[in-house]
Formats: sequence, structure tokens, C-alpha cells
Amino acid sequence: MKLLELRIRNFGKFSNRDIELSEGINLLYGENESGKSTVHTFVRGMIFGLERARGRAAAKDTYSLYEPWENPNYYSGAIRFESGGKVFLLARNFDKYSKKAELFCEDDGEVLSVDNGDLKMILGQFSETVYSDTVSVGQLRAEPGQGLAAELRNHAMNYYASGGGELDLHAALLKLKERKREIDRQIKEDFQKKQIKRDQIEQEASYIWRDIHRLQTEKDNLQERITYRRDHKRQKEEPENNRVIDELRPEKWRIHPLEILAFVIAVVLVFVFIKRPWNYLMAIILTLLCLIYTWNRLKISKKQEKTEPEKILEEIMPEEEKVPLEKLYWELEREEEELGEKQVQYNNLREQLEEMDEMGEEFREQEKQREAVDLAVDKINELSAELQKKMRQRMNDSLSGIIDQFTGGKYTHLVIGEGLEMTMLKDGRRIPVERLSRGTLEQVYLALRMAAASAFWEEDLPVLLDDTFAYYDDGRLKNALKWLSENKKQVLLFSCQSREEQALRELGISYQKINI
Amino acid sequence: MIAGDLFHRQPLLRELREVNDLFAGLIKTQVVLCAGNHDYLKKNSYYLTFAWEKHVHMILDTELKMVDLPEIETAVYGFSYGSKEMTEKPYAGKIAKGQRPAEILMIHGGDGSHVPVKKEEVSKLGYDYTALGHIHKPQSIIPGKMAYCGALEPIDKNDTGSHGYIYGEIVDKRCRVKFVPAAVREYIHMEVQVTADMSGSMLKQKIKKAVEENGTENIYKIVITGYRSPDVLFDVQAMDVYGNIIEFVDDTKPSYDFEKIKRHNKDNILGKFIEQLEGYGEGTAQYRAMCEGVQALMETRRD
Repeated sequence: MKLLELRIRNFGKFSNRDIELSEGINLLYGENESGKSTVHTFVRGMIFGLERARGRAAAKDTYSLYEPWENPNYYSGAIRFESGGKVFLLARNFDKYSKKAELFCEDDGEVLSVDNGDLKMILGQFSETVYSDTVSVGQLRAEPGQGLAAELRNHAMNYYASGGGELDLHAALLKLKERKREIDRQIKEDFQKKQIKRDQIEQEASYIWRDIHRLQTEKDNLQERITYRRDHKRQKEEPENNRVIDELRPEKWRIHPLEILAFVIAVVLVFVFIKRPWNYLMAIILTLLCLIYTWNRLKISKKQEKTEPEKILEEIMPEEEKVPLEKLYWELEREEEELGEKQVQYNNLREQLEEMDEMGEEFREQEKQREAVDLAVDKINELSAELQKKMRQRMNDSLSGIIDQFTGGKYTHLVIGEGLEMTMLKDGRRIPVERLSRGTLEQVYLALRMAAASAFWEEDLPVLLDDTFAYYDDGRLKNALKWLSENKKQVLLFSCQSREEQALRELGISYQKINI
Repeated sequence: MIAGDLFHRQPLLRELREVNDLFAGLIKTQVVLCAGNHDYLKKNSYYLTFAWEKHVHMILDTELKMVDLPEIETAVYGFSYGSKEMTEKPYAGKIAKGQRPAEILMIHGGDGSHVPVKKEEVSKLGYDYTALGHIHKPQSIIPGKMAYCGALEPIDKNDTGSHGYIYGEIVDKRCRVKFVPAAVREYIHMEVQVTADMSGSMLKQKIKKAVEENGTENIYKIVITGYRSPDVLFDVQAMDVYGNIIEFVDDTKPSYDFEKIKRHNKDNILGKFIEQLEGYGEGTAQYRAMCEGVQALMETRRD
């Protein structure tokens, strides 16, 4: 891009001032307050527009600063420039009522639209910040803003992007990260579903296990009863249909008949052999004694109605359960069968649980997808690191080349780090640029701007230098001017001193001097 | 003939009774069955003790055994599983004895860990027909000589296609079989194509129509394929009109032409990315990574 003409209609102190510019070095000379910085700002405003800040900030923003002194409602200008072999006319109205921008190609008469991005198409996709941080060097402000570091990094990633860096690696990586999180969530969800299913089966199994235990105890009880009953039956060898108590009743007289007979004989004998009247008395006493004995015997027998085994049996088996043995056998068989069923069921459930431990097909599928996302991220990072490295290498090369010329061969190696921190390599020592003298530091910054500019724009942009050389000694001033004239198509050099002109003249570099 | 795996796990006694009662309804049919890898003869298996109906014959041996059926002049040879896996081949070298006019071999298995079946080897043994079990999908191995009848009803969502049984007749050593579909419903994996200009409700209509055409009694897994426009997302939950869709797989590809993208981005990271991952073939990790990466890069492009 080459600026051909600035037509300042009404901007700051200027009204209707036209400045013709030529290729090579344009020396815009003017004393203090002559309006050099205004011209500088005018160019930037023409390219990027002037936006009014909102609220209080509006009082001190660029818009207000350069609001025309006279007739502020008429705030406009135009520039003619050449780009890609065609000449364009760009006109803007800055004032808030008739704000507009018109772009027009003088060669083929095509009217272009600034709003639709046609200007960006012509000049490249770069923001005002990048412009200010590279080719547009303000007064005593050669150090680029911090934004340049981020822009450079982003640019490095998109360095090879065609169409002005339309790829956004950072956003793409975020997107992939999001995608991975989504897959992870899906995996987790499926896992939870599986866990619920597993819990259900586990619970079912535990119920069945409890049943098994209950059945086992019942079965054991039954078995005990049957064994007991069988044993006793064998002992008694009674008919099977006898009542249980009957089977167990011991054979026993309460009072033996012989005893009663003996008592009667004794009473009779006493009555016969003892003399009267004592025999009456003795017989009565003896009879009474016999009656008491019999009475007692009858009482004891009543108490002993139940024998020991009978008692045990009564404890373990209530009256109503004194069921036939066959029924017990039938019950035992039924319980055994049910126990068997439950055991099979239980084992089947356990088997099912074991099978659930194996990873499902779906899980493997998701796992694969996640790995694929990881691989994509790795590849992109790998490629971007490669490109960044390449880009930095190129930056380092061009930086070193520029600083070599600026310092007349004193410094030949300038390397740039990740965060744009620069280090000078000199005689095997690493010198952070902050430790250099102010003048050299200014030169380093200018070199960085120039190197960055050629990284950002394929097309050479005009370089605007607003009293940048104040700290340069005469030698380095000459070196810098020489480099600019050799490497830049168009330079706008604003100065309030005559040393630049003198240096140019001494170097024999042709230039156009414009008095402001 | 039931060539194994009548039950998916160890059968319960009441289940055997149930089956036996059903068999009891058969008047002029002989039933021969064996145990497969799922209902294998475990130590306490009810198979070992169960008393079947007279005309039901269960083979309870892990070696090849003959079941003689003189009433129908047939002999069936088969074996049961004694464990979950069985790598030996009980049928190996057991040539048909020729005792009955019709001799049938019954094998459960067919893969590496479940009695491998080589059709050349089996066909040399001289049986009139070989009934195979284990694989759920019905398939003919040697037409008219050897086949898997498959599961009577599909039992898994991947058990697609028609299910039923094989009806066969052996007359004078000539065997004729035919597959008889009998399943009440099928699992159908259905591909539904989308196009870049298709909206969610259009897709829903298309799925609904396709389900109606294929029968609403069936159960579907819908695979959405084709190229959708990259910014369309389908709400698959709403697409299940008849409540018979168990799974949706979104296999759509955003309509990217990798070759073209690569050409257009020859010098940038996108082009290099495709260059590094292309040519591995669909389904590989690299291909998937390429799709994911390209999609992310394309969707986040600055306009």
C-alpha cells in the first residue's frame, strides 16, 4: 500500500489542506504545534475510522481531541492510496450526524463498501492495535503495547492461513476440549446407568440369599424333627397311627393290685389275731394307714403323668403340629426343591453380575472417540508449535538483520521469547534488552515493529515515524534512515528538527520535503 | 431338535416343568435336545435329574451319543456342554453308523472357544443333516445339509433380521429344509439418510414413515447417515413416535470434503492437519481425529 494524497477537509486545526505524498521517504517538517501529530492521527483515523468513546471518556478521546476547531459539524477527509496496482479513494465523515465512509476504485470505477469489509480485504485483516504497534510509531513511543505479544502469538499460529488468518486455533482447541468433556459426561452417564442395573441385580441376589438361608434353617428343623420321630418310633415299635403321647406313655401302675390285697389281708389278720377289744382299734388304724398310702400313691402318679421325653417333645412341638410323619416328609421334599431353585437363581444372578464386569461395546466406542479427540488436540498443538517455532525463527532472523544494520554491526543477534521478551546475544552473553541504553532500546523496538509488520502484512505498508529518532546518535540515525529507504516502499517521517534532513542529504538519499 | 441353549442360564426346576408341559402337547413329535454353553450341565443342574415326557430325549453326555428313534426311523447324534466353554470337537471322526434311514448330527457351537465347526470336516462324516445351534442369526452353512436355525425370537438389539425355526424333511436320504419365520417381532437397524437442507421435523417425519413401512411392531435402532449441515443438531428424543426405537446413532458427517479443504488450506495448519491424518481409512483413530479436528477448526473460523 502506498499513500498518494491526504485530503484533510476539516480535521483538528486543518481545514482544506491537501498533502501529496510520493514513494520513498517523505519528510514532513514542521515546528512545534504545526500539526504533525494531527496528520499522523488523520491517517490512522482514515484507515480505521474514529469511534467516539461513551460517557465521560468522550471528553478526552481522540475523536474530541481532533474535532475541528472551526465548524465542528463538518469533520471529514479523504485519502488516495494505491494497493495491488489499483488506486482507491477513501472518504470519511467523522462527525456524529453524517458519519459515513466511502471507498471507490479510481481505476475501474467500482464502488466498494467499507461496512462490508472491502477495506479489510484490501489492507489485510488487522486491527488498529496491530497497526499502532507496528508501522505507526508515535512520538517517543517506540515500545509496542502488550497487545502485540498476544497478536503475534495468535498470528504465529495462523501464520500460513490463507485469507487473512480466518482460522482461530484457540477457539478450535476450546471446542475440542468441550467435545471431550461431552464424551466424558456420556461415559459417566452410561456407567451410572450400568451401576444402577448392577445394584438392582445385587439386591435381588441378596433377597434370594436371605431366602436360601431361611429355607436352609427350615429344612434343618424339619430334618431334626423327622429324625427324632423316626428314632422314637423305632424304640416303641408302636403302631404308627397311635397318638404321640400314647406312644411315649410309660407302662406303670399307680397302685399295684397285690399291694391292695396285702393291705386287706393285713387288716383281716390284725382283726383276727389281736384280742378284743384292741383288734377294732388296730384294724381301724391299719386301714387308715393303708388308705393314706393309697391316696398318696394316687397323688404322685397324677403328678408324673408326663415323662421327661414327653416334656421335651411338647416344647419343640405344639399340640396342633403333631402331624403325621408323611406330611413332614412331603414338606421336607418341597423345601429342598425350593432351596434348589433359589440356589440356581442365585448362581445365575452372580453369573450375570460377572458378565457385567466386562466392558461393553458402547463404552469401547466412546473410549475410541475420546482418544480421537485427544489425538486431534495433540496434532493441532504439535503443528502449531512447529509453526510458531518457524515463525519465531523467521522473526529472529529478520530482527537480527535489522538490528545489525541499525547498530552498524555492533549487535547481530536479537532473539525473541514467548512473551515477546527480547534478548540480545553478544559475545556469548545474553543481555535482556531492558539493560541496554535508551537509544539502543528504541532501536530494538523499532526493529521489532518493522519485523512484526512484515510478518503481519504481505503487502508493504507505509511507515509513519513521529519524531522517533530523538535518542539516536548521528551514526545510528543514518543507519536507520538507510535501512528504511532500502527496505520500505514509503516512509512518512515527521520531524521538528533538521538533523534528519541533513543525514538524508549526507547519505545521498532522495526525499520529498513537505512543510507543514 | 433343540441344538442347545434352550435357556440362557441354568434352568430352574419350575421352568423345566413348564417346558415339559409344553412338550407334552406334542402328539406325534419326538424332541431331542442338548445343553449348550449357557445352560451347560453344571454339577447340580436339574437337567441331570429331570424326568422328561416319554417323547422328549435329552442328551446328557459330553461325548457324542446317539438317540435312537425307531418310531420315525431316525437316529440323532449329539452332545451336551459340561462347562461354559468347550474347545474339543466331540463329533470329530464319528462317522454316521447307518443304523437308521435318517441320521442327523446336532452340534452346539461354531466359534473358537465353543466347539469349532469346519463344514468340510462335518460333511465328510456322512450325516443326512447337521443341525447347528449357538449363533442367534439363522444361516445356512451347506444348503440343505447344514444350518443354524438361530434364536426363535431375537434376544438382543443386535439380533437383527428374521427369526424362526427350520423345518426339514428327510426322504430317502434326501434332505429338504426351509426356514420358517416365527418371531413375533424383529429388531431392525434402519439407516435414515439426511441431507444438508433437512430440519429436525422433516427427519422426524421421515423416520415415522420408515417405521410405518417396516412395521410398527418391530423394534428399531435408527442410524442417521448422510451429510447434515454442520450447525444442525437433531433432538433424537423427540423422534420416537411409536415408542419402539431403542437407540439412535448419529452417524452423520458434517458435509466436509476433506480433499477440497486440504487443497484450499494447503499452506495453513488446517491443510497440514488433514495431510498428517488422512489416508488411514474410515473408523480408525486417525480418521476420527481428523473429523473431530477439522470440524472444530472449521466451526470456529473467523468470518
